[in-house]
Amino acid sequence: MANIDGKATAITVLSPVKRGGPLLLWLVFWALRNISATLRKLEMLSFIHYARWATIKRFPDDGGGERLNYSYLLFESNFNGTWDQYIDAFSQVLGFRIKLIWGTSFGFPGPLPVEPFKAYIRRNEFIANHYWSAYPEATTTEIISAGRVESALQELCGSTAGVDPDSFRVAYESFLGKVQRDL
Amino acid sequence: MRDGRNTCGQAYALTVLTPILESRESGLARCLSQLQTGSRSPLANVPGTHFARWVIIGDVTYEGAGQRRDHLHTGRLLFTSTFDGSVEPYLEALRVGLGGAADVIWEHCAGYPGSSDGEAFAAYMRAHQIESSLFFSAYPASTVEDVQRSLASRRRVIDFAVRAQAMSAAELQAAFQQTFAT
Repeated sequence: MANIDGKATAITVLSPVKRGGPLLLWLVFWALRNISATLRKLEMLSFIHYARWATIKRFPDDGGGERLNYSYLLFESNFNGTWDQYIDAFSQVLGFRIKLIWGTSFGFPGPLPVEPFKAYIRRNEFIANHYWSAYPEATTTEIISAGRVESALQELCGSTAGVDPDSFRVAYESFLGKVQRDL
Repeated sequence: MRDGRNTCGQAYALTVLTPILESRESGLARCLSQLQTGSRSPLANVPGTHFARWVIIGDVTYEGAGQRRDHLHTGRLLFTSTFDGSVEPYLEALRVGLGGAADVIWEHCAGYPGSSDGEAFAAYMRAHQIESSLFFSAYPASTVEDVQRSLASRRRVIDFAVRAQAMSAAELQAAFQQTFAT
């Protein structure tokens, strides 16, 4: 399946935006960019590596771009886990923001109940023809944990240079206690 | 193009939509399906890339319900990449790293200048680039190298912790220094 590389899954959605939607989207994205709570909400979805939205007013071509009746909203995500788990959690955690973003798109049924939302995403989804990840076997949680382990390890190396073995053991055990949830 | 909109920490979200030449869509699909995957993907040779994809958008979707039907004059090839640093050096890394694969893919697209001229290649990508409205990263400060290095460190710590369980303090210190001394 071209949408998957190891544990990573790609989702690509392109949905038609109602008239007046682009202006609303401009405001919504401005608010989402400037109100950090949204990014924290996305962080709570601990299986998203990267996600982006873009509003397409003109489809680029050799000239000034092809303009259709409507603008289109592009969404892509790189996540670990299954498609169903992703949409379930996405609609639960981000419900209101999903409504703000896709509420401007034709046919959007609302984030909940989740089955019509899933059907909507499937109708507007494009399957990748080729997908690649630099670290296909790592989940987002593992990457964030690994970052914490590495910082703690560096701290341990720096603080224990030249100490006696017993002091080292104390520091090592404290290090293990600190990182055990990340191992 | 406001590149600030495409960045989150040090990561950059590149989105490129290029028009597929008439009646070349199935050839392009075949060509993309024949690319090697995983560590043999041509994208594996493009340093700084976290995730990337090619997606053929044959036409836009129609949701009914009061919507007028829209059709693209020609299908588009979507290329997206999430990478480290700024866009100009990356486009050059993309051109060099993909090598022949860049031409094999984008030669199906109108106006593609080929990959032999770096400036023309970058100009083509920039001319067909879409600006992000919102870009999120779970680890915005980490480069590909950082991610891979810390994952390796974590594995070494796990292995070491298992191995070191029954060691005396002196053995533990010696083994630690041997394993983690840089």
